[in-house]
Amino acid sequence: MAGNMNANYDLPQGVERLKEEHRKVVKDCKGQITHWKKVEKDYESLQERLVTLPDKLSYDIMVPFGPLAFMPGKLVHTNELTVLLGDNWFAKCSAKQAETLVEHRKKHVKNKLDDLHKVMKNFQSRAGFTEDLEKMTNDNGDFVDIKEKVEEEEAGTKGKHRVAHKPKSKPKEEYVVQLEEEREEEEEEAEGEDGESSKRVLSEEELWARLDELERMEDEQDERDRMDSTDTNGEDTSSSSSEEEKEAEAGREAQVNGQSQCENQASVSHIVQVNGIAKPQHDEEAKEDDDEEEEGSSLPTIYFCHTVEPKKVRINTGKNTTLKFSDRKEQKQQGKRKKKNGKTNSHSIQEHHKITSPSDIYRVFVDVLNGELVPRKSILKSRSRENSVCSDTSESSTADFEERRTFFGRAQSHDDATHSDASDGITEEDSPSISLYPNGRFEAFSGTVVEKDPLPSSIPHLTIAPPALPTIPERKQEEVSSEVPQEPIKRVSKFKAARLQQK
Amino acid sequence: MAEAIQKKLQAELEKYQQVQKDVSKSMSARQKLEAQLTENNIVKEELHLLDSQNTVYKLIGPVLVKQDLDEAKATVGKRLEYINGEIQRYETLLKDMERKSEQHREVLASLQQEYQRAQGIPVAKA
Repeated sequence: MAGNMNANYDLPQGVERLKEEHRKVVKDCKGQITHWKKVEKDYESLQERLVTLPDKLSYDIMVPFGPLAFMPGKLVHTNELTVLLGDNWFAKCSAKQAETLVEHRKKHVKNKLDDLHKVMKNFQSRAGFTEDLEKMTNDNGDFVDIKEKVEEEEAGTKGKHRVAHKPKSKPKEEYVVQLEEEREEEEEEAEGEDGESSKRVLSEEELWARLDELERMEDEQDERDRMDSTDTNGEDTSSSSSEEEKEAEAGREAQVNGQSQCENQASVSHIVQVNGIAKPQHDEEAKEDDDEEEEGSSLPTIYFCHTVEPKKVRINTGKNTTLKFSDRKEQKQQGKRKKKNGKTNSHSIQEHHKITSPSDIYRVFVDVLNGELVPRKSILKSRSRENSVCSDTSESSTADFEERRTFFGRAQSHDDATHSDASDGITEEDSPSISLYPNGRFEAFSGTVVEKDPLPSSIPHLTIAPPALPTIPERKQEEVSSEVPQEPIKRVSKFKAARLQQK
Repeated sequence: MAEAIQKKLQAELEKYQQVQKDVSKSMSARQKLEAQLTENNIVKEELHLLDSQNTVYKLIGPVLVKQDLDEAKATVGKRLEYINGEIQRYETLLKDMERKSEQHREVLASLQQEYQRAQGIPVAKA
């Protein structure tokens, strides 16, 4: 600042001096101009005299005699002049020649005057400019201060630049959050066609309430599992909206269980694949700490993973593998049917939901295989049925379920605690395929099914609804005509209820 | 340290001032030459206006010496050449001197900085 201030002070001084110089030059020019003007006048008078001088032969004049005295005299030789040419050169010439010489000198004088005028103008303009400059500098005095500030700002800007980088990073975080939210929303929208997308983030209380509900649902499911598979189906179909919700929750739990199973069976990385859509969410939840953004990407990855899953499934249930193959064939046929049938049926949406998750496919297959009303358990049971041991399978499945539930409960609690959004997503995913929870129980199977139906599985994600549509209605209609209509309503009501509860 | 630099500085300053004096001298001389050039140019032109009938005198001291017109023209021409030569000489001289003064100025500036540094260090130490 001090330096700048000094500069400010110096600048005015310099301007002052410059102005002085300009003034001096202009003054000199003016003086010279006046001088040359006088010279010009003298020359003019001289010219006049020269013109009139030769008119007479002699003039009576007062001759200057020293500085103080004059004496009368006579001017003769009026046409005879001695002219000082300059540089001590003299020339004797007539008045006429002298007049030409005067004319010549007047030219010079004129040139000189013109030059002087030019110089004066030039310096006047310069003086004006310096004045303007001074004004500007004075005004700029403030501006200079501003400039100093600007410099400071520049220094600040450097900091700001750094800050700017930070802002970028911050925005990134914000964007990330937003993106995550958006993705979650999208996922919810995509997954939860029923319309649960509104509230994704649940308060801890809500989460806990949900967990409690899920626990209840698990208990109920356990009871149902203990009961015959047919009975459970009937219960599901006939169950009131609250029961349906419970069932849906149970389905969610089942999926969670399936995830836990997958974790148990395969490495954590494979879990996503085995579980299918539901699993990716869990994985996402688990990975949320690492990267929440991956959720969006997780969906596609999940699909890819499905192919890998079957191996695990097979490993898990070596006996079931053969059954699974049969299931796969059936699933393929179903998928073809679904594709052919298109999206005409309202049930298709439900089916789509079912199809979306590999577990849903399993359900469908199970239903077809059974031809009876044993849809959910049927997947596991279908294998078991094929094995010709439905009750055993159901029991084993129940035991597995319990184990899975324990794992699942842990996972869920973690998930819920970590991310309410993820839990919502899961619930949403589960909700579309309410009957999934048996599938969830047999998630390992579901994984195998996915492998068998790579195309349908891939299709369902892109266009999940169309393939599932035909299969579901047929099976459902055949198996439980009442269930089909009820399910959509129930599902919707469940979602809405869930939303309302969440809200 | 500071004193030595100060001595150097003063010596350099004196040199610089000398150079500046020379510059101003040659400048004034050049201006005179310029004035003489213009004057002689005028004389030359006016001599050309005269014809052979006119007698030309040269004032040498208190005496007007009669000169032949052609002779006067020739002398004026020579005088002009001489003046032009002088002007060119002064021109080069001025350039040289300006260069020198520039160098001196730079040396002075550096010396000044050194001197200030030398002064500033003891101050800082003190």
